[in-house]
Amino acid sequence: MDAVTYPNAEVVKFIQGNTIPLRVPFDAKPLSLKFNIKWTPTLIVLDPDGKERHRIVGFVSAEEMIPSLLLGIGKSYFERDQFSEALMRIERLLKEYPKSSSASEAIYLKGVCQYKGTHNPKPLREAYERLKAEYPESEWTKRAYPYRLIN
Amino acid sequence: MENKITWETDMKTALARARKEGKHIFLDFFNPG
Repeated sequence: MDAVTYPNAEVVKFIQGNTIPLRVPFDAKPLSLKFNIKWTPTLIVLDPDGKERHRIVGFVSAEEMIPSLLLGIGKSYFERDQFSEALMRIERLLKEYPKSSSASEAIYLKGVCQYKGTHNPKPLREAYERLKAEYPESEWTKRAYPYRLIN
Repeated sequence: MENKITWETDMKTALARARKEGKHIFLDFFNPG
């Protein structure tokens, strides 16, 4: 991470501008116990109250870091019922990083956010159709499979 | 902007900043070697 990902100028700009970066050794107690750290790197997105919302274990490339953080922040807003805030992050991810490994989960989450915000189920089916077309082998395409039946 | 991440090293400080600035915390558990 120190050799490749963190020196990347876009990664620096995003992390500094959108998060509070906090770095601690993997064995620093009590945090390592609280978060049950077993391997490094373990990268966690916490909401402003300190609750875990997204976790990645293992190396993340510079190309994947920003979309992964956008997904994590989007998930955090979703879990706190702030759907428009969640959609802003998800749509940025899908616009700027459509080939990232976070994109298929983002499409799924976009459909769910739109449904939760409006109670219109059509976005769920649209999410499935897009996943099927663009990411046919994705786990998220399988999870969205039931939505094909929505009219 | 300096091309380097400026890390907090203390959770209490990070949480205070997160609440004040309305941002999420990016927490990296790393191996200092």
